[in-house]
Amino acid sequence: MSANTLASPMPGSPDPNAVGRELMSIKRRSETGLRIRVAAVWIGLVVLLIVGLLTIRFSPQYMIEHAGFVLLGAGVTVFVSVVSILIAAVLALLGALGRLSASAIAQGVSSFYISVIRGTPLLIQIYLIYLGLPQIGQQLVNLGIPQGSILILDAVPAGILALSLNYGAYMTEIFRAGIQSISYGQREAALAMGMTRWQMMRRIVLPQAIRVIIPDIGNQFIAMQKDSALVSVMGVWEITFRASRFARKDAKFMEMFLLAALLYWILTIISSRLQDWLEKRMAHAYER
Amino acid sequence: MPMNGKPIVRVQNLHKWFDMLHVLKGVSLDVMPREVVMIIGRSGSGKSTLLRCLNYLEQPSLGAIRVAGVTIAADPKRKPDQKKIRDIRLRTGMVFQEFNLFPHMTALENVIEGLITVKKMTREQAVPIGEINLARVGMSDKRDVHPIRLSGGQKQRVAIARALAMEPAVMLFDEPTSALDPELVGEVISVMEELAREGMTMLVVSHEMAFAREAAHRVIYMDQGEIIEQGKPDDIFSRPSDPRTYQFLERVL
Repeated sequence: MSANTLASPMPGSPDPNAVGRELMSIKRRSETGLRIRVAAVWIGLVVLLIVGLLTIRFSPQYMIEHAGFVLLGAGVTVFVSVVSILIAAVLALLGALGRLSASAIAQGVSSFYISVIRGTPLLIQIYLIYLGLPQIGQQLVNLGIPQGSILILDAVPAGILALSLNYGAYMTEIFRAGIQSISYGQREAALAMGMTRWQMMRRIVLPQAIRVIIPDIGNQFIAMQKDSALVSVMGVWEITFRASRFARKDAKFMEMFLLAALLYWILTIISSRLQDWLEKRMAHAYER
Repeated sequence: MPMNGKPIVRVQNLHKWFDMLHVLKGVSLDVMPREVVMIIGRSGSGKSTLLRCLNYLEQPSLGAIRVAGVTIAADPKRKPDQKKIRDIRLRTGMVFQEFNLFPHMTALENVIEGLITVKKMTREQAVPIGEINLARVGMSDKRDVHPIRLSGGQKQRVAIARALAMEPAVMLFDEPTSALDPELVGEVISVMEELAREGMTMLVVSHEMAFAREAAHRVIYMDQGEIIEQGKPDDIFSRPSDPRTYQFLERVL
């Protein structure tokens, strides 16, 4: 059988199942063909990159020797990102409920939080929390309030706090949009059966909204894994900090930062796979 | 049909404004226990708003509502008492034009949601009640199916079961068949007729004349936010006394 037999009118009526199967296999073949060609382009680009690197007396040897040392930082990177995205999600939920609330205090606090955080660079926020807050803490301790010392944060908690606060503000808008995307009829059905507003949120609106925003949260998580590189300025032993130590010491900038870049890239590929899997799992109720 | 004693729903001089739009202009209405009342009228006549004011999905601007012993008098200067509103909602079951089933829950989970979340039953207590009510609307075989896999008529029957499970004193139907394909209307109407036979008090906003003839005790015609006339279905349909009712029926029948 070939496409030719399909095109030429046959005497009598063709078997519709056979034609359907033939059409499907043609479609599948052209889809796999495209996928193979795309993969070939990727391989070509990587080869081009390697050739380019070899022309600058790049040392793969050096890279391999220090891969283990930098890889150890991946654990810290993942830990900081996972903890931060969880705290950020809680902040974002509170922020979104605040934005949508009828209370002036809740609306004021959440819109102020979003405005300040989105209006300032993450790097400055990290400096303020790691270097600025301890000034206040020290002052409080000097004034005889020993609890002030909780404002003096170690590098890792400071980094987590900064990333959580920062991403929480951006994700507030994601949560707000997700909540608002749930139709008014859903709320009315919940209220009509006697639910309180909070029961309606918890049982009806949020479970549906979470599903809508999972892809956006995934994107935020992927972005955060890379923004977590900024905590290296506080000397946290994560991927970027480890890479830059040897890069500076031996002037192997391309080797070490490329190594770091490769690690981040692999991490994000793993994360987006996780995201796909989670989306599929949550789609179950919505498949015919 | 014995309908004596006190009315189970009493609406007194109900007004509703949407900003400057006066959509209900002093509606008063009594509904007796076991009575099936049908409200008809062209779109924009205020019939849906009247129904939605009964369970405070719309907040009345002026007037008073009493449902099964709970009274709320509208006071535009004050926030309404949320506890009382929930009390009224517990005594009314609402069926929507667009079904509004919860898509993340199966048919059974939809039906028992109110029992668990609002009435604080355990799952073990709620499931048998849910199953009984799914059986009442002929949906037992779909108990573990999510709404997306149900037809419009099936969705609406589950929505009716969901309202019934809460054991309301009054059922409110807001155009329950308007979003359905014509061939699916019948299954919903027959469930509603069965409820009427069982003696459920029902307020129905709908133009299903078959249901009106078969099950309604009283038909109310509304126009421009007022009740124009009301009476037995046969009287209203064959001998309307107001020209506006006559004109409307001309177009619908």
